[in-house]
Amino acid sequence: MVDYDVVVIGAGLGGVTSGAILAKNGFKTLILEQAEVVGGCCSTFDYQGYKFDTGASIVMITQPLEEAFRRMGKEVRDYVELVPCEPIYSVHAYDGTKFTIPTDIDDATEVISRIAPEDVEGWKRYTRIGLDMVGQLEQMMTTPMNTLSETARLELSHPGMMKYFPYFLRSHQGVTVQFLKNPVIQSTVAFQSYYAGAPPELGLGTLGFIALCEHLGIYYPRGGMIAIPEGLRRAGEEFGLEVRFNQKVEKILLEGNMARGVLLEDGTEILSRIVVANVNAKVTYLKMIGPDNLPRWAVKAIDSYEVAMPCPMIYLGLDTSPPLDAHHTIKTGDLEQSNRVWNDYYKKGIRPPMGGWLISWPTESDPSLAPEGHHVVNFVWGGPAPYGLLGDNWDRLKPAFTEEALKVFESEVMPDLHDHLKVVEVSTPLDFERRLLTPQGAIYGLFLDFFSSAMFRPHPRSRVVKNLYLAGASVGLGGGVPTTIASGVITSDYVLKDLG
Amino acid sequence: MKKSRKLMALAALAGSVALWFSLSESTRRYIVHLGKQVPYLPYRYFI
Ligand SMILES: Cc1cc2nc3c(=O)[nH]c(=O)nc-3n(C[C@H](O)[C@H](O)[C@H](O)COP(=O)(O)OP(=O)(O)OC[C@H]3O[C@@H](n4cnc5c(N)ncnc54)[C@H](O)[C@@H]3O)c2cc1C
Repeated sequence: MVDYDVVVIGAGLGGVTSGAILAKNGFKTLILEQAEVVGGCCSTFDYQGYKFDTGASIVMITQPLEEAFRRMGKEVRDYVELVPCEPIYSVHAYDGTKFTIPTDIDDATEVISRIAPEDVEGWKRYTRIGLDMVGQLEQMMTTPMNTLSETARLELSHPGMMKYFPYFLRSHQGVTVQFLKNPVIQSTVAFQSYYAGAPPELGLGTLGFIALCEHLGIYYPRGGMIAIPEGLRRAGEEFGLEVRFNQKVEKILLEGNMARGVLLEDGTEILSRIVVANVNAKVTYLKMIGPDNLPRWAVKAIDSYEVAMPCPMIYLGLDTSPPLDAHHTIKTGDLEQSNRVWNDYYKKGIRPPMGGWLISWPTESDPSLAPEGHHVVNFVWGGPAPYGLLGDNWDRLKPAFTEEALKVFESEVMPDLHDHLKVVEVSTPLDFERRLLTPQGAIYGLFLDFFSSAMFRPHPRSRVVKNLYLAGASVGLGGGVPTTIASGVITSDYVLKDLG
Repeated sequence: MKKSRKLMALAALAGSVALWFSLSESTRRYIVHLGKQVPYLPYRYFI
């Protein structure tokens, strides 16, 4: 006798997407979430009257979200209102140049022709190739490519993708410098490798075109980023999906090498036909299942992945409008600086100085997130910061780090910050780890490059533990709002195929 | 015959070393980074 057909561990995007779709297909589905709200990294919390986004600050590539709702016979717009953000970025380049990047490609080309006329031809080639590739990838995102045969099938159904294969083998930086020569323009394309948790010189080459995804439109959900997982949850609940909060799963229960339910922290056992884990794959395999229950080669495999990057976040509540001109403002470093942050600081356990940064300004798109006339701003460390600090730890460092971040914000963005600052909250890698139970506070699951994506990433239908499925940033195409929603769709497809 | 094979092997080795040092440091780090993962690929494929 089982209590549920499906138990999902975690109500992150991968978890709510797969849970909602499975509920729609008639499976008695329960999601267990250790926090008080849905969304994990894509969530929103209240702090002294201000609503702050925990992590993710925009969504680009909405196709997987549309597909997830379509699988439930529903429309996104009935559950989530997506507000377009224009321009995409306001850029503060490392050399002092400031400009904004509009969504429209022709308008963006105009901006580039003013700053770097020598790069216009390269930019045009980059957009011609990139937009075609991104357009095809968008259609493929909810199709599995987790085995050789799945990948071959996908290639055959999209023969136009074959010619782009060499870009998969190159680095993000390799792709960037192939098309763009001006260091400032390069920096606006290269910093986004950190969106996938890797420095430009190590990031996946195809992600060198990630900047172009944003030219298809970036959106902010009204009500905060939590509106996306909330919308999915509401749709699922209409089909009987059950979500329980403050329920921490300790272990996945096994019978031989078959998952048969979960054990909660309070000792409760919940039995199910299958288990979907929406937590980091290292946690799923090494903690919830345990190395003793796995073949040695499987432990070796899972041990071989690096987590994808801790990064602190500063949340500010202001009683006035900040002097910003876009939902996102970035300060970029040149390619060498971006790589140095990784090689000379992150890998050595040294906290890098606050060089580049990313500011998101949610109240520009949705003023209801703060009291009238007030604003919220998220200030993101512009790259990775080591979890394990050489000779220090984040709890001890937090006050000094906060002070330093505020000083940078004051000197580089808002000189009268202290007159208007009402609320400050900070999430260090240690806080992210405690809040989301993500190992080392990693914000994108596992590191993503050619050898740790798609068929070389943990399989959504576990190949070592029967009846165990994985969804979220640790599988498929890695971290990100669209990719984790896509992973939820794919995982539900595997379950439907197996349990019919 | 044996000598010419040895010479060819030496030339190939010297060519590879020259090619390696003609690459940028970033490219070399990229290759090393990928190379380090190669032994794990068969395990990763099956997990
Ligand atoms: C700072 C930051 C900025 C980001 N910016 C962007 C962005 O702008 N755009 C974008 O596309 N992506 C962004 N991302 C990435 C994106 O938010 C994530 O990749 C995505 O939301 C992860 O979804 P997931 O399905 O892997 O689940 P997660 O978000 O990892 O959620 C897992 C859930 O499982 C729960 N859980 C963990 N352990 C247990 C347990 N033992 N028992 C029960 N529940 C458990 C957690 O509480 C959590 O709710 C950002 C992430 C962060 C952190």
